Amino acid sequence: MSRSLCLAALVTALAPAAWAEEFTWAQTTDPQTMDPHAVNSAPVLGFLNNVYEGLVRRGKDMTIEPALATSWEPIGDGEGWRFTLREGVTFHDGSAFTAEDVLFSYQRASDEGSDTRSWFAPVSEVVVVDDYTIDIMTSAPNPIFPGSIANWMIMDSGWAAANNATLPDKEAGNYATLNTNGTGAFRVTAREPGLRTVLEPFDGWWGEVEHNITRAELTPIQNPATAVAALLSGDVDFINPVPIQDVARLQQDANVEVIQGIEARVIMLGFPHEADTLKFSSDVTDTNPFADPRVRQAVAHAVNVPAILQTIMRGNAEEVAQLVSPAMQGFSEAHAARPAFDPDLARSLLAEAGYPDGFSFGLKCPNDRYLNDEAVCQAVTGMLAQVGLRATLDAMPVQNYWPELRADNYDMYLLGWSPGTFDAEHPIRFLASTPNEEKRLGSWNFGGYSNARVDELLPMIQSELDDTVRQGMLDEVAQILQDETAYVPLYVQPLVWGTRSNIALTQRPDNFFLLRWATVN
Amino acid sequence: MLAYIIRRIGQSALVLLIVGLVAFSMFRFVGDPIDNMLGQERTAEDIERLREQLGLDQGFAVQYYRFLEGAVQGNFGVSYRQGRPVAEILLERAPATLELAAVSAILAVIFGIALGVFTAIRRNGFTANFIMSASLIGVSLPTFLIGILLIYIFSVELGWLPSFGRGETVDIGGWSTGFLTSSGLQALILPAITLGLYQMTLIMRLVRSEMLEVLRQDYIRFARARGLKERAINFRHALKNTMVPVITVIGLQLGAIIAFAIITETVFQWPGVGLLFINAIQFVDIPVMAAYLMLISVMFVAINLIVDILYFFIDPRLRVDRAGGH
Repeated sequence: MSRSLCLAALVTALAPAAWAEEFTWAQTTDPQTMDPHAVNSAPVLGFLNNVYEGLVRRGKDMTIEPALATSWEPIGDGEGWRFTLREGVTFHDGSAFTAEDVLFSYQRASDEGSDTRSWFAPVSEVVVVDDYTIDIMTSAPNPIFPGSIANWMIMDSGWAAANNATLPDKEAGNYATLNTNGTGAFRVTAREPGLRTVLEPFDGWWGEVEHNITRAELTPIQNPATAVAALLSGDVDFINPVPIQDVARLQQDANVEVIQGIEARVIMLGFPHEADTLKFSSDVTDTNPFADPRVRQAVAHAVNVPAILQTIMRGNAEEVAQLVSPAMQGFSEAHAARPAFDPDLARSLLAEAGYPDGFSFGLKCPNDRYLNDEAVCQAVTGMLAQVGLRATLDAMPVQNYWPELRADNYDMYLLGWSPGTFDAEHPIRFLASTPNEEKRLGSWNFGGYSNARVDELLPMIQSELDDTVRQGMLDEVAQILQDETAYVPLYVQPLVWGTRSNIALTQRPDNFFLLRWATVN
Repeated sequence: MLAYIIRRIGQSALVLLIVGLVAFSMFRFVGDPIDNMLGQERTAEDIERLREQLGLDQGFAVQYYRFLEGAVQGNFGVSYRQGRPVAEILLERAPATLELAAVSAILAVIFGIALGVFTAIRRNGFTANFIMSASLIGVSLPTFLIGILLIYIFSVELGWLPSFGRGETVDIGGWSTGFLTSSGLQALILPAITLGLYQMTLIMRLVRSEMLEVLRQDYIRFARARGLKERAINFRHALKNTMVPVITVIGLQLGAIIAFAIITETVFQWPGVGLLFINAIQFVDIPVMAAYLMLISVMFVAINLIVDILYFFIDPRLRVDRAGGH
C-alpha cells in the first residue's frame, strides 16, 4: 500500500496536473450495510451520505439546505409539506430521478423491517403530484419535518425492483446490502465488508464539485494504536477518532493535524425514578433516595465537571446543563448554566433529604461506548464519595450494558444522547417523556421519569409552527427538567479527528465525514 | 488399526460437540446483539420482535440444536452484522489467515532450527549466548507489544513497511493472495514476524536442548571416535535424531499459530478470520462466533488426530503394543 501511495505521489509530482488524488481514511467501525434504510446508525448513515442523498441535506454548519428537493413549503395550515424536486438528476446507473423514487423510498424506509421507520411516524400519506412535485402529509402540523428527514436517502425504484431489493433486509441481507445506486457525489466501486470500501466521484452529479478526490478508500481499523500509527506513517490520510490520550503526541508532529470539535452527544447521569428501593445498597434497603429531587440535586452539585473535562478529556469537551448541546436547535439559552460544583451544598441537601451520612448504591457504566466512559465513571464515583454518596462502580461492555438498563439493574447510570434531528425536541421524546410503548415515547427513559406538564408540552412542541412560541415551550421543559434534576447532564462529548497536514476537510458535529468537502493539497 | 482410527474419530466428534455446547452456553454472557442491530429510535416492541425472529428468546440448548441442524447441512447461518452467510464470510477471510500462518510457520521453523542447532553446537560462544538471551524477549514479550513496537520502528519512524492491512491482493479462483504483489509481500513481513516470533524461540530452545541431549549420547561419541567429520555428526546423526519430538511440537504449534493469529491480526488490522472473530465478539454476532469456534476446534481436533495416526506409523513400538494387546 505504501508503495502504491509513494508511486501515486511520484507520478503526481511529475505530471503537470494533479490528476490522481487518492484519499484513504480509517475509522473504528465499518458501515455494516450499504442499505440506507436498513440500519439507523451513525457509521452507516454518515458513510452513505457520500453516496445517497435526501430531499434535503445538512450543510457544513448543520443548517438544512436543498438537495434533491429545490424548495419546500407547508401545505395549508400544516397538513403536510410540499417538496419541489430537482430536475435533471440521475442515479449512478444513469436512470432519472423522479417523484416515483421518492414515494418508493418512503415506502421502503417506513417499512416494518426498516430501522428508519420512526422518522415517518408523523406521516399519514405521501402523494405524487407530478414527476417533480411530491406532497408529504402529516397527521398533525409538523414544523421540524424537513429537518428530521435529512438522512432519509432516496433510492432508485427501478434499480431496487430489478435487483429484488424493494424492501430492506437487515437480517438476511439482499442486493442493496452490498451494492448502491444513489444520486450522491460519489459512487461505491468496490465493497468488501470489514476490509475496504472504494469510492469514486460520480461524473453525472448535479452539484458543484468542491473536492479534488479521484479515488477514496475507507478501511476500518479497530485498534486505536494501529490507526494512529497508520496516520503517522502516512498510510492513511485521515482517522476518526483520535484517542484523547494521543492528541498531544499528534499535535507535535508537523505532518499531522488534529481537528477538534464538539459532538452532538450529551453525557449524563440517569436515575431510577420509579424504583421502590435501591438494588445495590448495603445501608438503605427500604426506600429509593433518588426519588427525592434533593438527592438528585446533591449529585449535580457533587460532580466536579470542570475537573473531569480538564483531566480525563484533556480540555477537549464542554460542560452542559441540558439534554442537548448549545449547537442544537431549540437549546434554551436561559438554562445554560450547570449547577455549581459545591460539595457543602450537596451535603446539606442530602442532610435535608434525611441522609446526613449519605448512603451506598450501585453505579452502572459502559466501558466501550463513549469516550473514556469508564474513567469518567471512576471520577464521578470518587467525587460522589466526597459527599457521602458511596457508589459501587460496575463498568461493562456496551452489549452487556443495555440489557442491564432494560432490566432496571442499576441505582444510577451513565448515558450519552445524540439527537438525530438536531433539535431539542428529540431528547424530550426519548428521555423525558413518560414511557409509552404505543405512542413510541420515552423508549430510552430507563428510569421512568414522568412529569405531566412535560408530557403535555411535547405534542404542542412537535406541532407548533411559530418559532418563538415553540422556543418558549422548550424553555419551559428545560426549566422543569433542571428544577427536578431529572438527569444530571455532565458534558458534551468531544470530537477528535486526525489528518495528514496536506488534507483539508470539514468536521460536522454529527461526526459525519463528507468526502465532497475534502481536498488533497 | 482401522478400529483405532474409528475410535479416535468418534472421540474427536464428541469433543467437538462438547466445545459447541460450552460455546453456546457462554454466548449469553458476551452480551445482547439486539441493541447493536437496532438503531437509537427502536422501541421495546422492535426489540421483542427481533429477538423472536433470531430465536434468541429460546434457551441455549435450543439455539445450539438449531445451529447443529444447519451446520450438518453446511449452513452456518447469516451474520447479524453483515447480513451475509457466515460460510461465505469465513471463506473470504480464510486465505489471509492461512497465508499469514504459513509464512510465520515457515519463518519459525527455518530460523528456529538453524538457530537451535547453532546455539547447541557453539554453546559457549558469545554469539550463541547472545541469541539465547535475546530469545528470552521472544518468549516473554506479549505479541501485542511486539507488533506495536515493530509498527513504531518500521512504519512510523523508518517508513519502510506498511503499518496495517494486507496490501494489494490478487484473486485466483476465489483465493485472494497477497504473495503476488509487492505491496502484499511488504505487508506480510511485520505481521509474520510478530506471529512467528514466539514459535521461533520455542522451536529454537527445543531444538537446542534436544540437540544437547543427543550430542551426549554414546553413538555420537562413537561417531567422533570413528573420526567422522564434525559436520556429518552434527547434521546427519545428531539433528536427525533431534527432529522426532520437534516435528510433533511443530505440528501442534501450527494449530496455535492459526488460532492465536487473533492478536496479531487485531494489531495489524490483518483481514483474516481472527479479526473477524474479534469484531464478532464486539457485535455479539453469534453465528460468526459459533462458526469460528467450531472451525478452530475442528482444526485442532484434526491436527491431533493426524498426529496420533502418524505416531502409529512412525513409532513401531506403539504398533507392537497394540498388536500384543489382542
